[in-house]
Amino acid sequence: MSDVPAPAPGRLDEPRWRVLVTPRWLGWHLFAVAAVVGMAWLGDWQFRRAISGNTLSWAYTFEWPIFAVFGVVFWIKTVRDELRPPADAGDPVEIELPVGARRPGTTDGDESGDGAGAAEDDVELAEYNAYLARLATEARGHGRWHGLR
Amino acid sequence: MPEARETSAVDADRLRGLVVRGYRVMAYLTGSMLIILCFVGIPLQVFGHDPVIAKVVGTIHGMLYIIYLIVAFAMTRLVGMRTASAGTVLVLAAGTVPVLTFVVERWVTRRYIAPALAGAPAAAEHAAAGR
Repeated sequence: MSDVPAPAPGRLDEPRWRVLVTPRWLGWHLFAVAAVVGMAWLGDWQFRRAISGNTLSWAYTFEWPIFAVFGVVFWIKTVRDELRPPADAGDPVEIELPVGARRPGTTDGDESGDGAGAAEDDVELAEYNAYLARLATEARGHGRWHGLR
Repeated sequence: MPEARETSAVDADRLRGLVVRGYRVMAYLTGSMLIILCFVGIPLQVFGHDPVIAKVVGTIHGMLYIIYLIVAFAMTRLVGMRTASAGTVLVLAAGTVPVLTFVVERWVTRRYIAPALAGAPAAAEHAAAGR
């Protein structure tokens, strides 16, 4: 967890896929490519052995390409897991905001309780709270898996 | 609308139960073949110089493992395991290590399958109304 840097305000708007180009993920991409190429090569090697008379190699000739395809599927699912939080993450958490703070995307036009004098301060406070709420939303379900731990 | 959602939830439960059962069957089949291969076939090949059992059982295990891989992967997703978690990798790799499928099957049942099955069919049990 500690190796995942806390997002700075400027990074909040970065698209989600940016996590896939971090050095750690690039390493895993490389590993995936190497593994799939390796399995395809093994399949080819077994095919050459089968051609030259090794009957048992026919089984492996088909087995390795299937494993390679499985590796690709596994990789796609992994990336999709990372980009999209799992469904069991639950409904968005209702974040308790301090009195006077606005929820992002709402106007306090119909709020009657607030005094007019407090409105000036509230804008800043509401913006900060909206930022915190956004942070919490972004962080949820994210960073739960960054490579094998 | 509520009816449709209930039906699909029941269907999902049934699918999950089916895949879990398939995973168990494949875990035991693949594991058994691997034990025969490693503790009968290979000793016969190495010490008895009779490679027939090793070749036949090895090929069968190879084919079973492909099916195991697919069913086990489907199972990990249906019980809510993350794709690239250590647990998923362990489940998938278990089919290639002697005896490990049996151990992992018990572990994954306790850790993931039982909670997943206990959580979901609450509605179905409720509908049964007998209890």
